[in-house]
Amino acid sequence: MAPRPHRHLLLLLLPLLFLAGALVGADDLVSELQSLRARSPSGVIHLTDTSVTRFLSAPAARRPYSVLVFFDAASLHSKPDLHLPQLRTEFALLSASFLAHNPGSGDLFFADIEFAESQHSFHQFGVNSLPHVRLIRPEHSTLAGSEQMDQSHFGRLADSMAEFIESRTGLEVGPIVRPPLLSRNQIILLGILFLISIPFGIKRIIEGETLLHDRRVWMSGALFVYFFSVSGGMYGIIRHTPMFLTDRSDPNKLVFFYQGSGMQLGAEGFAVGFLYTLVGLMIAGVTHLLVRVESLQTQRLAMLAVMVIGWWAVRKVIYLDNWKTGYSIHTFWPSSWR
Amino acid sequence: LKETSASPPPLLFLLSPHPPELCFSAAMPQTQSSTAASGGGGRLRDAFGGVLCAFTLLLIGLLAFSIRLFSVIKYESVIHEFDPYFNYRVTQFLSKNGVYEFWNWFDDRTWYPLGRVIGGTVYPGLTLTAGTIWWLLNSLNIPLSVETVCVFTAPIFSANASWATYLLTKEARGPGAGLMAAAILAMVPSYISRSVAGSYDNEAVAIFALIFTFYLYVKTLNTGSLFYAALNSLSYFYMVCSWGGYTFIINLIPMHVLLCIVTGRYSSRLYIAYAPLIVLGTLLAALVPVVGFNAVMTSEHFASFLVFIILHVVAMVYYIKGLLTPRLFKVAMTFVITVGLAVCFAVAAVLIALVASSPTKGWSGRSLSLLDPTYASKYIPIIASVSEHQPPTWPSYFMDINVLAFLSCFLPLSDASSFLVLYLVTSVYFSGVMVRLMLVLAPAACILSGIALSGAFSVLTRSMKFQRQTSENAGDGSSNALANSETASKEKPSKKNRKRDKDSEGSSPADHMTEEKLLVLPCGPAAVGIMLLIILSGFYVIHCVWAAAEAYSAPSIVLTSRSHDGLHVFDDFREAYGWMRHNTDVDDKVASWWDYGYQTTAMANRTVLVDNNTWNNTHIATVGTAMASPEKEAWEIFSSLDVKYVLVVFGGLIGYPSDDINKFLWMVRIGGGVFPHIKEADYLRDGNYCVDAHGTPTMLNSLMYKLCYYRFVETDGKGFDRVRRYEIGKKHFKLTHFEEVFTTHHWMVRVYKLKPQKNRVRGKLKLKPAGRSSSKANSMRKIGGKKNPWQ
Repeated sequence: MAPRPHRHLLLLLLPLLFLAGALVGADDLVSELQSLRARSPSGVIHLTDTSVTRFLSAPAARRPYSVLVFFDAASLHSKPDLHLPQLRTEFALLSASFLAHNPGSGDLFFADIEFAESQHSFHQFGVNSLPHVRLIRPEHSTLAGSEQMDQSHFGRLADSMAEFIESRTGLEVGPIVRPPLLSRNQIILLGILFLISIPFGIKRIIEGETLLHDRRVWMSGALFVYFFSVSGGMYGIIRHTPMFLTDRSDPNKLVFFYQGSGMQLGAEGFAVGFLYTLVGLMIAGVTHLLVRVESLQTQRLAMLAVMVIGWWAVRKVIYLDNWKTGYSIHTFWPSSWR
Repeated sequence: LKETSASPPPLLFLLSPHPPELCFSAAMPQTQSSTAASGGGGRLRDAFGGVLCAFTLLLIGLLAFSIRLFSVIKYESVIHEFDPYFNYRVTQFLSKNGVYEFWNWFDDRTWYPLGRVIGGTVYPGLTLTAGTIWWLLNSLNIPLSVETVCVFTAPIFSANASWATYLLTKEARGPGAGLMAAAILAMVPSYISRSVAGSYDNEAVAIFALIFTFYLYVKTLNTGSLFYAALNSLSYFYMVCSWGGYTFIINLIPMHVLLCIVTGRYSSRLYIAYAPLIVLGTLLAALVPVVGFNAVMTSEHFASFLVFIILHVVAMVYYIKGLLTPRLFKVAMTFVITVGLAVCFAVAAVLIALVASSPTKGWSGRSLSLLDPTYASKYIPIIASVSEHQPPTWPSYFMDINVLAFLSCFLPLSDASSFLVLYLVTSVYFSGVMVRLMLVLAPAACILSGIALSGAFSVLTRSMKFQRQTSENAGDGSSNALANSETASKEKPSKKNRKRDKDSEGSSPADHMTEEKLLVLPCGPAAVGIMLLIILSGFYVIHCVWAAAEAYSAPSIVLTSRSHDGLHVFDDFREAYGWMRHNTDVDDKVASWWDYGYQTTAMANRTVLVDNNTWNNTHIATVGTAMASPEKEAWEIFSSLDVKYVLVVFGGLIGYPSDDINKFLWMVRIGGGVFPHIKEADYLRDGNYCVDAHGTPTMLNSLMYKLCYYRFVETDGKGFDRVRRYEIGKKHFKLTHFEEVFTTHHWMVRVYKLKPQKNRVRGKLKLKPAGRSSSKANSMRKIGGKKNPWQ
C-alpha cells in the first residue's frame, strides 16, 4: 500500500527535477558565457562549431538568453563593397555600449563566427551571403529559424543595429559610446601647442610673410576646391561610391563610366572635372600668359594646341553628358525653315 | 508652332552682347584715362558707349524675362508645383486684407486641428513684393489679377538680377565683363529652373537680393561711402525677408573681411563696408518675425560677430600704429597682445561653453550637413531624403551651368575680384554638397565666366586689330618695365606677383600703343579662337533655350505627354480640386499625403490635416499611419480628426510615376517612426516593395492600396499597373468604410468619402457606437484598442 503514493510522488517530482536540472544548466551556460564575455575587450564572444552546439543548439528551455551573431569571413575582408571590417568594429562598439549600459546582463550576448573555422555552423544557419547578422532568441527552436537582421539596419551602423535589438528583444542598448578620435591627453597637448603658436602666428601675419600671403597657395587651393566640387567628389564622399566597378559579364573588364544621371563613379567624375578645369585653365593661360611670350612661333603653336585640346575636351564632355543623361539637346528653328 | 516662334528672340540676342562688349573693352580704358587725352571724339565715344550699354542692358532684361515665358506659352499662365501655391494663397490674403491682417494671420484651414501662424513663420519678402506690385498696378488702373502678378514676379526679378549682375561685375572688372556676365546670367539654366513664369517661390526674388547685396558690398569696399553701406544693410534686410539662404551672405562677407585682414589688406574702406552692415543688418534682420532672435542666438551668425570683434581690434592696432613711434608701437603691441589674448581666451571659453551646452552646437541640421557633408546622411534621414538635398553628380553641373563649368575656374588675377573668387569657391563647395545650392553657385559662375569670356574676347580682338611688328623687340623691355611699375602703383605694395591688368593700359597714347603691341597673339589663330569662343557661347545659348523650353517649364500641376497620336494633356489635379471646391461643404476636412496640402488649401479652399510645411512630424505620421492601416483602423483615425474626404493620387492608369503608391514607403516609415505598430518590414516581401501577387497581406489590405486600386480592374479587365509594370495583387474587393465620390478623367486623383457610422442593429452589436459624438470616441477606444493614436 505504501509504495503507491510514493510512486505518484516520484512521478510528480520527476518533471520538477528535470526542470530544476535544466535551470541549473541554464545558469551554468549563462555564467560560462559571461566569463567568456569578460575575456574579450569589447564583450564579443568568439564562437566555433563546438560552442555553437553548446550554447545555441541547446533546447530552448536551457537558454534563457538571446545571442546576436555576426557572421565574419577573414577572406572577404579585402572586398571593399562588403564593408565587413567596418561592420565588425561597429558590432564591437555596439557590444561594448550594451555592456556599459547593462553591466553583468545575462539576457543578451554578442558573438561572432568566422567562416573558415566554422563552416558547419554557417551551413546550419543557412548563411550564404555576407554581411549577415542573426538574432537567436530563446523562443527560436532551430538555428535556421532565428531572425536575420535586415540590410537596412546596417545603414546607420551601430545606431540602427541598436534599434533592431531594442525592437526585437525589448532590451535597452543605451547610447552608443564611440571612442573619441583623439584621447584626452592628446587634446590637451594639441590645445597647449595651439595656444603657444598663436602669438608667433600673429607676429608672422603682421610681418606679412606666411604661406597665407602667397597668392599661389590661394590660387591652387581655390582651383582644387573647384575641381573637386565640379567633379562631384562630394557625391563620392557622401555615397561612398567606388572609383570604378568591375563588369558583371566580364570580370576582367573595369567599368569607369556609369550610365544614368542619378549615380556616378569616382573616376568618371574626376575625369570630367579635370576636363572642366583644363579648358578653363587653358583659356586663362592664353589670355594672361601666352600674350607675354615673345616668339610668334611659340604663340602660334601654343594657340593651336590649346584650340585643338579645348575643342576635343568640350566635345568629349558634351558627348559624355548626352550619353549619360540621355538628353538630346536641340535647337528651335522657325518651322518655315525646315 | 508656338515653341518655334518663341525661339528667334533668344537666338537673336545671342550675338547682341558681344559687339557692345567688344566696344567697351576698348572704350573703357579711354574713359578712365580721359584726363590725359580728353577730346571731343572721346566724349562722343563715351556717350555713344553709354547709350549702347543701356540699350544692351535693356535687351538683356528682355531676354531674361522672355526666356522664362516658355511655361506660359507651352502650358498656360498658372502657378507651378507645390510651394508656390502657398505663396500665392498668402499673397491673395495680403492683397485682400492688408499688411496688418497678414502679419497676424492665424490660418485655421491647415494642420487641422492645430492651425498655423502664417505671419510669424514665413519669409515675407516675396509676398510683400508681389503684393506691392499688384497694389501699384491697381492704383495705376491696370487691373491685373493677383495670380497674373504672381506668375510674372519671377521673370521680372530675373531681369533685375541680371542688371544687378551687371553692376556687380562692372564694379569688379569693368562694364564689358559686366554686360557679358549679365547676358550669361539672364539665361543660366540653374536660375531658370527656379524662376520660370509661374514658379512663384522665394528663390526667385532672393537671388536678385543676393547679387544686389554683394554689389553694394563691393561698391562700398571700392568707394568707402557710408551711403552705400547703409543701402547695403537695407538690401541685406530684403534678402533676410526673402529667403533662409541669407546665412550664406552673413558668412561669406565675414570670410572675405577676414581674408583681407589676414593677407594684410585692412583699410578704412573695409571697416566702412563691414561694420555698418553687421550692426544695422543684424538689427534689421531681427525685425523679421521668422528670424527674430535667431539673428543673435544661433551659430550661423557667430562668425560675423567674431570677425566684427577682430576687425575692431585690427582697426585699433592700425590707429595706434599711426599715433606712436615704431619703438613705442612695439612695446604697446606686446602689451596689447598679452592682455588681448587673455581677454580673448576668457570670451572664447564662455562662448564655447555656451555653444557646447546645446546638443547640435547651436547649428541647424541643414547648416551642419553643409559643414560636414556626411552629417545628414548619418543622423537626419528626413533631411537626407529630400531630393533637393542630394549631392549632385557631374552631369548636374553640365545641365545647370553648362559651359560655364569650363570657364568659371578661370580665376581672374585681380585684387578687386578676390571677393568674387571667394564667392565662387564657397558656393561651388556648397553646391557639391546639396544640389539645391547650385542656385547660389549660378551667379558666381556667371560673373566669373563673364569676366573670363570678356577677357578672352578682348585679347583676341585686340590681336586682330593691332599686329605686332617683330622688329620692335628693342622697345619691349622698357615698356614692360613701365607697365610693371604702373601695375605696382595701382596695386597694394604687398602684391609682388607679376600680373597683367588690362585696365591699367597706357596713361598716354604712346604707351598705350606700345603695350597694345606687346600683348597680342598672332592674327590667324586669334580669329579661329574667336570663332571657337562664339561657337561655345552659341552652344550655351542653345542649351539654355532647350533647358528652359523642355526641362524646366513643366508646371507639374498640368501634365502633358507626347505620343504618336499627338499631345495629351492631363489636367486631373485641377479637375479634382475644382470638384471639391464646388461639391463639398466649405468646412469639410480633407486628408491627403502632405505633398498635396498646399494645393488643396489654395485651389479647393478646404481644410487639410498636413501640408508641405511639415513642421509637425507627429501629425504627418498620423496621416501616414492611417494610410498604412487597414480600412477600419484608418476610418477610426480619420473620423477622430473630423476628416470627411480622403484624397489619393494614383498614376497606374496613365503611368504617372510620382503617385502615392510610390511615395507609400515614406508614409510607412514616417508613420512607423512615431507609431511603432506600423512596421516597414510588414509591407516588404523579401525587402522588395511590390503590390503585385507577391505583395504582403498588410500591404494589400492597407487603405492606400485599396483607395488607389478600388475598381481598377474594371478599366482593362486585368488590373495592369503602368507605373509598376505588372498586374496588381488584389483585384476584386469592396470598400466597407469608405465610398468613392469622385475620380478624375485619367484616374489621377481619386476622392473618397468616409461612410457614416452604421445604424445600431438590435442584438447584433454588443458595444453600441452611438453617433459621432464623444461617446462614440469612448466606445471606439474599447473596440479599436491602441491602434488609433489619437485616443
